[in-house]
Amino acid sequence: MTNHQLTIGWLYPNLMSTYGDRGNVICLRQRAQWRGYEVQVMPLDQQASVADIHKVDVLVGGGAQDRQQEIVMRDLRGAKAEALREKIEAGMPGVFTCGSPQLLGHYYEPALGQRIEGLGLLDMVSKHPGFDARRCIGNVVFEVSASRLAGDLEKMLNSPPVVIGFENHGGRTYLGNVEPLGRVLKGYGNNGEDGTEGAFYRNAIATYSHGPLLPKNPFLADWLIQTALTEKYKMPISLKPLDDALATQAREAMFKRLNVSFPVAAQR
Amino acid sequence: MAVSAAKTVTSLIRLLRIGAGSVLPGTVADRIQPQMLSLLCRQVKYGVIIIAGTNGKTTTSLLLRTMLERHDRRIAHNDTGANLENGLITALLDNTDLAGNLNADYAILEVDENVLPKVLPKIQPKYILCLNLFRDQLDRYGEVDTISQRWQGVIAQLPSETAVILNGDDPTLSHLGQQLPQRVLFFGLSEPEQYLEEIPHAVDSIYCPKCGHPLEYEGVYLSHQGDFHCPSCGFTKSKLDIDSREWPQVLIGIYNKYNTLAAVLAAQQIGIDQGTILDTIKNFQAAFGRAEELHVGGKHVRILLSKNPVGMNETIRAVNQIKEAGKASTTLMVLNDQTPDGTDVSWIWDVDTEKLVALGGTLVVSGDRVYDMALRLRYSQMEGDQATKLIVKEDLQEAIATALEHTAADETLHIVPTYSAMLEVRELLTGRKIL
Repeated sequence: MTNHQLTIGWLYPNLMSTYGDRGNVICLRQRAQWRGYEVQVMPLDQQASVADIHKVDVLVGGGAQDRQQEIVMRDLRGAKAEALREKIEAGMPGVFTCGSPQLLGHYYEPALGQRIEGLGLLDMVSKHPGFDARRCIGNVVFEVSASRLAGDLEKMLNSPPVVIGFENHGGRTYLGNVEPLGRVLKGYGNNGEDGTEGAFYRNAIATYSHGPLLPKNPFLADWLIQTALTEKYKMPISLKPLDDALATQAREAMFKRLNVSFPVAAQR
Repeated sequence: MAVSAAKTVTSLIRLLRIGAGSVLPGTVADRIQPQMLSLLCRQVKYGVIIIAGTNGKTTTSLLLRTMLERHDRRIAHNDTGANLENGLITALLDNTDLAGNLNADYAILEVDENVLPKVLPKIQPKYILCLNLFRDQLDRYGEVDTISQRWQGVIAQLPSETAVILNGDDPTLSHLGQQLPQRVLFFGLSEPEQYLEEIPHAVDSIYCPKCGHPLEYEGVYLSHQGDFHCPSCGFTKSKLDIDSREWPQVLIGIYNKYNTLAAVLAAQQIGIDQGTILDTIKNFQAAFGRAEELHVGGKHVRILLSKNPVGMNETIRAVNQIKEAGKASTTLMVLNDQTPDGTDVSWIWDVDTEKLVALGGTLVVSGDRVYDMALRLRYSQMEGDQATKLIVKEDLQEAIATALEHTAADETLHIVPTYSAMLEVRELLTGRKIL
């Protein structure tokens, strides 16, 4: 099993990494390496080719400032957009934070300037209500509700999967015909109105929750690694457990502060 | 009447030792007399000097203030770090008598980057120093691009005799200066041997502020500050008005070289002689927590406030140099998430903590978000790194004691705290509060 290899694709590392999103890449890389898998991190920036996109086993996308998001959308057109769409439709797992989900939806309307068209993969739209509107900022807790993902995670954890993170977004996202990722327990979520957080499509996790997301919710990282390797090698893969005591303590401390009483374990 | 009411509040607070004395009088005065800030600023004899920027405000202000004081100038200064409008008013009131007469030759006002556009028209400063613009506390303010656009709009409205002193190595500020109608002076480095090996990940603006094309760098000194040009539109680094090789620096770290150059350029404009400037640099005593050195229980301690990815990267760079020289092996990291720190701690994942861990030694961790920092350091451990000992202590006092125990007599303990953590650390080390 140690000859298994994992390629992590990182969308526009210099343009889309606003709030420590690099932590998701670091988390996936380390957790795969600690288990003896060979890992390659492939930056998918303006120089990346369609062939590069096809090599990716698991994809990470972060948040961007509005101007950077525009540069990304100008680059992500034609064959590159098509390759990304194919891969996600085919079940490549990925985690998309903040600006990235906006990119996967139909469009994003920034506070200033023109509507930025997205890939239209996920049936959702995002809008910035204007500079005067409150940003959605704060610690966020949600329970994963997307049925297939929730089922997988419950099997891993033996308890309902509760995710903790930090959200900071001006834009509001409204879902159409796509499953929400979770149900908000504390915080704003997609728009602060309908109690939904993020979206889940095929094996793609879209969320406003950074923090970054994966180090404090290592079961999500492991689900991504396991799904990526299972898809790649077409055989069931089970991951060795790791020592996640520090993540559990970090979660316990924040749940306690937020007065949330849920199962807090980061691991079995 | 507003002045006396506010001053009464100040003395009452001092008397009662409530501790909010650095902002509350300003709030009271501003309620009674909304024109207070502009009325006070108009009375400053030779004018107001604004110091803005994400990092380095306190050290630069203190250095410039000391140069001016050695030149026998009387200075009003918001040196408590209260850099919002009410903090500025309070500092000016401190130099005002009950009749409302302000007695200061210059006022040095450190101003929060987001408040700057709002207060500049009221202050009508004579000098504006902008040190840098980094990603800091985005949870409060939104994004760097937005801030620089707002700055540009407001500075352009000021009188033409205002002197604007900017960091020419920072593309955003270089561009800002090139757009302004005022007299603009640039400081920066001309020392390619100080280039970093690579552009750090925590960098914000490597895209041309003029046309959006990626900038090309001959080299980077710190974060996105360096020698750059745009291959598309021809935008290039502004010509510098000071030769960095001619000046020594205060404290440690390349960021303090920038702070020194900014203060020197301002002092030269004001007309301070070279001898006084050099003398002040040589005898400079750090502001609290900013590379400040203390002796605690026979051990040497240096406190290096680090409140954002760029600041912490530069701190690690300076600490590693000392570690490599064999004069340090223990570092205490203290991460808080209180309002002055920013409530979002995700920025620690933009810091290259891998570089700190790579050199081994003992890392003690504490603070409100002790486990988040510990987790970051655990994920920083790479194959082939020297052995690192990670010690987690929720209790700050225990953490300090443990870190001191692990520090040899001929070594320096480096403490790397966020802002509120720095105040707590200092209080524990010196046995008294500073604010």
